[in-house]
This record gives sequence, C-alpha cells and structure tokens, in this order.
Amino acid sequence: MNKKILIVEDDIHISKIIKMNLNLMNYATTEVYDGLTAFEMLKREKFDLILLDVMIPHLDGFELMEKIKPYGIPVIFLTAKNSVYDKVNGLKLGADDYMVKPFEAIELLARVETVLRRYGHEDRVVEFQHIQVDLDKREVVIEGTPVELTPKEYDLLVVLLKNKNIALTREQFLDKVWGGDYYGETRTVDMHIKSLRKKLGLQEQIKTIYKIGYRLED
Amino acid sequence: MKFWQKIYLFSILVFVIIFNIASIMVIERSHNKMLRQAINTALSQNISIHSSVNAIVPILRIYDSIDYEQTVLTRIAHEFVDKNSDQGIYMDITDDSQRTVFNNADFPMPAARSELADLDEGSIHYILRDMDARTILFTTNITDINHKKYVFTYMKDVTAVYQDRLDQISFFAKVDLAACLLFMVIMFFVSRGLTRSIDRLNRTAKVIAQGNFSERVTLQSRDEIGILGSNFNEMAEVVEDKINELERNNEEKQRFINNFTHELKTPLTSIIGYANFLRTTKYNEELFVDGLNVIYSEAKRLESLSLKLMDLILLQKEQFQMELQHFGEIMAEIKPSLELMAKEKNVAIVLDCEQGELPLERDLIKVLMFNLVDNALKASAPAQTIAVHSYWRGGNYMVAVIDQGIGIGEADQDKIFEPFFMADKSRTRSSNGAGLGLAICQNVADIHGAVIRVNSVVRQGTTVEVVFAPSPAAESELHP
Repeated sequence: MNKKILIVEDDIHISKIIKMNLNLMNYATTEVYDGLTAFEMLKREKFDLILLDVMIPHLDGFELMEKIKPYGIPVIFLTAKNSVYDKVNGLKLGADDYMVKPFEAIELLARVETVLRRYGHEDRVVEFQHIQVDLDKREVVIEGTPVELTPKEYDLLVVLLKNKNIALTREQFLDKVWGGDYYGETRTVDMHIKSLRKKLGLQEQIKTIYKIGYRLED
Repeated sequence: MKFWQKIYLFSILVFVIIFNIASIMVIERSHNKMLRQAINTALSQNISIHSSVNAIVPILRIYDSIDYEQTVLTRIAHEFVDKNSDQGIYMDITDDSQRTVFNNADFPMPAARSELADLDEGSIHYILRDMDARTILFTTNITDINHKKYVFTYMKDVTAVYQDRLDQISFFAKVDLAACLLFMVIMFFVSRGLTRSIDRLNRTAKVIAQGNFSERVTLQSRDEIGILGSNFNEMAEVVEDKINELERNNEEKQRFINNFTHELKTPLTSIIGYANFLRTTKYNEELFVDGLNVIYSEAKRLESLSLKLMDLILLQKEQFQMELQHFGEIMAEIKPSLELMAKEKNVAIVLDCEQGELPLERDLIKVLMFNLVDNALKASAPAQTIAVHSYWRGGNYMVAVIDQGIGIGEADQDKIFEPFFMADKSRTRSSNGAGLGLAICQNVADIHGAVIRVNSVVRQGTTVEVVFAPSPAAESELHP
C-alpha cells in the first residue's frame, strides 16, 4: 500500500512541487493550505507523515504541532527561517526533521524516507518491474534467481530505486554511493551504471540524461 | 571596612576621648579647688593660732619663764585642739632646741622637714605629706617669744579630699562605662540608619546591573542621599527607555528580516523546485508549461520584491528636493500607466484632480500613487471601479484612492503599514504582492509631511486618504 503524506503548505506552487516529487516515488499525497484545515483533515484521515510549513494561516506550524502530537504521526517541518531558535523549537516540539527552504527534491525524498524508516513504515522489499530488492538482506532477485552484485553496484541500484523517475547527476551518485569524501572520477559512475544495466537487463529503464546524468524510469 | 562601621568606630572613638578628657578635667579642677580650700582653711587656722599666741606674748615677756611659756603654749594648743578635735587637726610646738613642747599627732613626726629651711618670722610654709594611708597638710610658722623661736606646726588631715577625688573617679568610671555603652548602642542604630539608604541604593544598582532595568530605589529622605536616589532613578529611567527603544528597534528589524527571508525564499523554493523537477524528470508537456509558468511568475514576484525593497532602502537614505508642483500634472503623467494596470485586471479607473500646487518630489509621488492604485487593484474584483480624487479641504490637499474591493478587517487595520504585512492571508499570490506597498507609501508620506488615513469596511471597499498639509508659506503663494 502506498504511504500517505499530508502536505501543509500555504504557497500552492511549493505545495504542488512537493506533491509532484512525492508522487514520483509512489507516495499518496493530500494538500492543505492552512493549519485549521490540516487539523480537520487529521481527525478524519490517517497519514504516515506530515510535511508541515511553519508560517501558515489560521494556526501556525508550531501550534498545529502541539495539537497533532497525540496522533503520533511523524512530522517534517518546512520553513523559510534558518534560525537556530526555530530549529530547536521545532525539534523540541517533537518534529522528526527540519528542512529550510529552498530545498532540493532529492533531499526532501531522502528525509521523508529516513523518517518513514525510523517509524517502520518503509517497505523492506522494493519491487521494480521484474526486479525484487530485499533491503534487509541486501539481495537482488530477478524472477526467483538471485543476481550477484558488487556492494557499490547494489548501493547504486538502491539510490536509483529510491529516486525513481528523477535524474541524478554523476556527482550526486558519487556522493550518495561512494560517500562525500570520495574524490573518484565520474567515469566510475558510468562503469557501474553500465554493469548494472547489463546484469539486471535495465538497458531501457536506466536512461542517460543529456547534460545531467542517469534516471531510472518505469 | 563598611561605611557605617567607619562612622560607628570614629564617632565612638571621638566620644570616648573627649568625654574622658572633659570628665577628668572637671574632677581634677574640683579636687584642686577643694585642696586649695583646705589649705586656705589650714593657713587661716594657723594665723589665728599665731595671733592668739602673739596676744599672750607681752604677758609672757613679763614673766619670762620658760616653764610658764611652755605651759601657756600647751594650754593654747590644747584649747585649740579640743575645739577642733573632730576635724583631724593636730598641733606640734617645738622650741629652738628642737624639743617638743606640744604634740598631739597620732603619727610620728617626719624626721626631715624641708619646710623648716629658710623659715623666718612672719611667713608660713606649708607642705602636703603622705603619712601611711593618710595625706597630711603641714603648715609651719615661727613665733619669737622672749628671744626664743618656737616652731608652730599646725597639721590637718586632708585624706578626705583625696578620698573624694578617688570616689569621684570611680563614680566617673561607672558613668563612663554606662555612657559609652549607651552611646555605642545609639550610635549603632544611628550609623546603620544613616547608611541604610546607601545600602538600598547599592542593592538596586546591583539588580539593575544584572539586567533588571525596571528596578527602582525607594528613598523617603529629602537629604543628599534622597536626592542621589531620585537622580539615580531618573538615570535608570532614561537607561531603561533607551534599552526598550533599542530592543523595539531590534525586534522590528528582526521581524523585517524574518519576513524578508520568507518572501525571498518562498518564490525561490518554487523556482528551484520546478526547474529541478523539469530538468530531472521525464518530459510531460502539460507539466512543462505549468512549471515554466510558475517559474516565470515567481521570478516576476522576486523582481517586484527586489524593486520594492530598493524603493524602501532609497527612501530611508536619500535627502529629497521638494519643488512646488501641480499634483494634477503628475497624475496626468502617470494616468496612462494606471489605466493600463487597471485594464489588465478589467477594472475601471476614474481620475478627478483639483488644481493644487504643493511642494512635492515628483518621482516619490509617482511611487506613492502607483502603490496605492496597485493595492486598490489587488483588492478589487473585475468590473469594479477605482476612483482617485484630489481636492482642497480646510487648507489641506487631500488625495483619496477609493475601491469597492474586499476591504481590510478591523483587526488588521493597524498592521497594514508594517513591511510584509498582507491582509490576504491565503497568500495565493495571484497578485504578486510582497506586502511592502503601504510601508513605502508611509515613507513617502512622511517625507512630504503628509498623513495616510485608511477607512475600510470588509467586502465593501477601502478608502485611503493622503492628507498633505502645506506649510503656510506655500499656502499663501497658492491663495494670495
């Protein structure tokens, strides 16, 4: 079942771009534009996660946070303010994470995933067409047959799956798979993509995006 | 050492010294007086004996017998001693061969008697001698009887005088102790009382130093410390006011920065979000157009924000040159632009300007009118009308911008001049606002010495009036 995420953001453009990014990862989303509506919505429906803007009309994010604490739903704050006070205040109120605008889509997705995993809401088996990936066992199976992948190939596959339909640059791949302190060449990414395509039969699905990098498409 | 302790110790020291010296002086003086009196009495007694002996001398001369002389002298001495027996009076009479003729002293006569040296007839010598526990006054004279020199020594016990002095000293010691104790107790309270206000002042200063600027000292006294206290309070008042003002300024600035960040980051988030979405996801024509539209409109919003902000910064820095100008002329100049703006929203605009020459800054007035009309347009729905009137009333030149739009809630009316405040909370941003318009208008009005009045009813419309009060000089030029 798809995870349901409530987006509480008064700026419709920002709300929509968040929704679009989350939808790419098959999250179900509901958008509300003020605190009171959000509170009403929470009374009626169950959500796995709330993305909550701080400066929203009627009931601001901090006030809403107090009210929704009893529901035990994880919350990620979105805010334009970068002050330490706001961060501390947000986290003290029980928010699980804090994002300062403007933010990148992959950062948002990564944090959503991290929070969901912390609450045990994350699927431990990810399916993509004919491929099944067991995140706990670090095992990749194609139609019942396990496939041998090197650790880096496996990590690269997971990053692709978690950012499905979004193109990532070679630098982003290097950063996520090899770690920030790895000063390898971007060709390393190309090599691993090449071998992933071959081993998993993803020639069509892993697209090379001109001037950017690669994208896994379903 | 604390101040009250200094006062305390110093005053006690001074008191003890002066009190003791004065008392001892008084005691000594009265003692000396008494002693002098005793001596005088003794001397006069001596003289009276001397004279009674002298009265007998002619008779003794007739008889010229030593035995008779001595008998007579003894009898006189006896008589005298008997008469004064209770007063510690003693007599001693010796003849020139040092034999004692009469002596009733109950103590041995001293062997060496310095007063006898150089003693001649007609003079009396006296000396004080300590005999065991007593003090005896010796007065001595010589009487010549039949060419024999008799030494008469008249002695008086003056121990009582000395005893008196001792009594007085011991009494004084007791009084001294009591007085000192009493003084110490009184002085303790007095010095504490005098310095209590200083202590209080001190404590208040400390409390203020810890950041509690609203603390004040309460001193009832009207003395120098009381005045110091009220001056201190005055100072604290000024400091507190200054600090409050600084804090208010700081808060205002912080609020401005917070709002500004919000207004800056919101469009940026959309622009970055859409641009990134479009470049990293699969092409979809509908999303592509939508996304580009958002990027365009949000970028325009940023542009308008930056322009408005520059206006605002400019207004706060520059010195403006005012010139006498016709308001109507400026309006005629910007009329086409205003009409274009109104047409875009399908709103009608009516301009009706009375002639009026005022000291104005042309560009600022344009900014003011653009912002007021822009605000009116934002509040208006299509097919509504905006009116801009300007006219003289009671010596003031009034400019009114009237719309029939959504109006401003009463609760918001005092906040609308705050930068970034927007009455339309939903922030749907259809109208590209940043909430700086009225803040700019306010600044322009301030520069012209004009006042902005807002009169608004929700869902019925808003009237914004700018009241220009020209200086009398400018006015007389207009109405000679």
